[in-house]
Amino acid sequence: MNRRRFLKFSAGGAAGAAALATSAAYFAPFQKKQAIASGLQEIPTTCEMCVNKCSVIAVVNNGVIQKLNPNPENPRSRGMVCARGNAGLQEVYDSARLKRPLIRVGARGEGKWRPATWDEAFDFAAQKLSAVKEKFGPQGSLWSSSESFQEVFFQNLGLSFGSPNTVRHATLCLASVNLAYSATFGTVPSFDLLNSKYIIMSGANRLESFITPDTMDLVGSTTDRKARLIYLDPRFTVTASKADEWYPIKPGTDLAFILAMLNVIVGENRYDKEFVATYTTGFEQLADHIKQYTPEWAEKETEIPAKDIARVAREFSDAAPRAVYYAGRRSSWYQNDFQMRRAQAILNAIVGNWDRQGGMVPNAHVELGEYLFLPWDDPAAPRVDELDKNFPLAAKGDGAYLKLRENVLAGTPYPVKAWMIHKQDPMNALPDQAKTIRMLGQMDFVGVIDIQMSDTAWYADVVFPESSYLERQDPVGVLPGIWPVVVYRQPVIKPIHDTKTTLEIVQGLAKRLNLSQYFDYTIDQWVDAQVKTLPLDIPLEHLKKHGTYFPSGFPKYGTTLTPDHRFVTKSGKIELFSERLQETNYEPLPVYHPPAQPTAGKFRLILGRKAYFTHANTTNNPWLNSFAPENRLWLHPSSAQSVGVADGDRVEVTSSAGSIRIKVAVKQEIRPDCAFMLHGFGKRSKWQRLVADVGASDAQLLETSWDKVSGNAALHETFVKVVRV
Amino acid sequence: MKEKRALSGTTKIVMIFLGLIIYSGLVLPLAMSAGSKPSETKGRYYFRQNCKTCHTKGAVGGEITPLTRTQAQWKLYFTTAKHNRRSEPLSKVMSDDQVRDVAAYLDAHAADSPQPETCGK
Repeated sequence: MNRRRFLKFSAGGAAGAAALATSAAYFAPFQKKQAIASGLQEIPTTCEMCVNKCSVIAVVNNGVIQKLNPNPENPRSRGMVCARGNAGLQEVYDSARLKRPLIRVGARGEGKWRPATWDEAFDFAAQKLSAVKEKFGPQGSLWSSSESFQEVFFQNLGLSFGSPNTVRHATLCLASVNLAYSATFGTVPSFDLLNSKYIIMSGANRLESFITPDTMDLVGSTTDRKARLIYLDPRFTVTASKADEWYPIKPGTDLAFILAMLNVIVGENRYDKEFVATYTTGFEQLADHIKQYTPEWAEKETEIPAKDIARVAREFSDAAPRAVYYAGRRSSWYQNDFQMRRAQAILNAIVGNWDRQGGMVPNAHVELGEYLFLPWDDPAAPRVDELDKNFPLAAKGDGAYLKLRENVLAGTPYPVKAWMIHKQDPMNALPDQAKTIRMLGQMDFVGVIDIQMSDTAWYADVVFPESSYLERQDPVGVLPGIWPVVVYRQPVIKPIHDTKTTLEIVQGLAKRLNLSQYFDYTIDQWVDAQVKTLPLDIPLEHLKKHGTYFPSGFPKYGTTLTPDHRFVTKSGKIELFSERLQETNYEPLPVYHPPAQPTAGKFRLILGRKAYFTHANTTNNPWLNSFAPENRLWLHPSSAQSVGVADGDRVEVTSSAGSIRIKVAVKQEIRPDCAFMLHGFGKRSKWQRLVADVGASDAQLLETSWDKVSGNAALHETFVKVVRV
Repeated sequence: MKEKRALSGTTKIVMIFLGLIIYSGLVLPLAMSAGSKPSETKGRYYFRQNCKTCHTKGAVGGEITPLTRTQAQWKLYFTTAKHNRRSEPLSKVMSDDQVRDVAAYLDAHAADSPQPETCGK
């Protein structure tokens, strides 16, 4: 499919992603044989253009992928493929993708490379890693990665190498949500948006920033089933435009709004008394604690009228259990994000929406088998981010990215001199790019595994090109949820360039690092061990043919609603008051602390996503880039006037972390105290040709700030000055 | 005197050497064994390799996962270190070191242990 056909198919223009997703694909699922001419192959596999892992069917003609269609057999995919899913072809056929191993020949960031054979690249990296190990110990190496089906192999290489320093993307993602819900319920549930009648969202701009099948549940709820959507955001987003009520809340005060809702619901006896008595602990402490947080008090903090806060609280409790305060899929914005999420969780708990239709549902799983490989000795050194000391409740294997960077830059508690990076772009994913460049500069060795020359790869010493998701077999994945599903990714074509899978790259390095005994298996053996527990006659054949498997009988509600059910918490109950938080010197109930506000002449920088882009990863995809080829700085008309700029003028934006130059977009749809920009532009890598030096990178402006409990990056805590240039 | 002192020095060296051999051969392994940290990674492996054959859903021992017990309950269980309805010692199934690693793994993932979920796993 060429670009013109793609745009036509995607309903065109900026509305493409949403329009495509809301098309007949959802409401009348794709018919499998419709688009197939004779002689073409249909091969089911799993998308990797975002984290959602929808099932797709590749239409292949003589080894060339013609098109990617939705796979109607996966109930989680709802028979849809979004704009990104369609544009997955460009992952394979884009001329700018990495095609062979590269070794740097110029200075870091200069962009001078020489092609290398795989043996050369493996030998080079292994020699450098061994030298660091010899001089600084295995803890002198850092292994960072983002989630993918082959991430496990990369992480295991770092751990078997002896390093305690594996760091995942979680503290740039949902760590505060995960930790808050885990601390309250012992697990992170799904939200049954398909059946909710009342939905409140703080920020998470689902109808614009992330169009996946569960976004369609939200669309269905608000349009067909007339659920009410209450939306809080300093910007008037697409989600705001579809909401029943939008409140341009004062940034950083969402916790005040939720505490006041709790005040009304508890004070007016609107909570689910039976549920609270049976399944929760700490209600008395909660009731005492939230007396101070009246709607009138919250109005002063949030700038939302007290009468509206009280009314929303009453409507929410009336609609319960089919009412949810939706956590959404957004990262942390403020340093209090964990406590704000805890308050959401507590609010959801006391109205009794737990494990009920239209409420929050604990995720169901499908049990897979496991390939047993030899275990290695645990690392002797502590983590460089000192997680146990700084964030004692955080997920151990994930690390805390920003604290880690601070410690590496300071050389404490020990030096880190080698950095291996798997499919992650810390240059754009982490705030304060200047610090990331300094950290890269401190390394004796930087190795990157990726499919494209990201900004981070641009600063590497060796780049290992990975085969794209359409060219490789991965471990089988389980998507837990209200509808648990098994998905299978198989190659639909052979690799068209000199690339390898992550497992092959790991094995190549392991061999040279004398670690082969831990990776002495094939991907087929791994997959065979996984699928043997599935209740199917020939499980692998089923997955190859269908691309997916899901057990019958879902969704199920109420499986945990028995008085003897033990939640995976310290008390075994849903913890409104948390002893564990108290023991670790955190506030056991959410306490409101007013956020800092910008001084005169400054603006709070706020960020956002478009559904065509997966963070900064797909802005260079030609089909997707055509929807939004450049980012601009949004300013309210009154703010633009105060700065003395008009729409399209260039400005210099400065924070304590750095400065950028960017064009202004004057917009009514933003609070006057905020400035907004889209993520993923202003790249340094010249191979990112569509976005290199186009627009600007928010990472250059964002200051280092994190949520106090989870360590999650706090992305809306930066104040900027804007001047005309 | 000089010779006596030299002889005495040699004796000292021999004694120190012998002492080191005895220490490294007998005392050090015991000290290392007592002081080295149990491995959760290995514990998970030994649990899956040795325990899950009988302790899965529908199998003879009934399903057992780390969540089956609280930390205190696991501690109590490993105090007796017997299984199969307390009819045989765990050492019949695994070595002492393996038992220690499995205990560490089960404790870290027990029903009341802090184990926050994460993204994409």
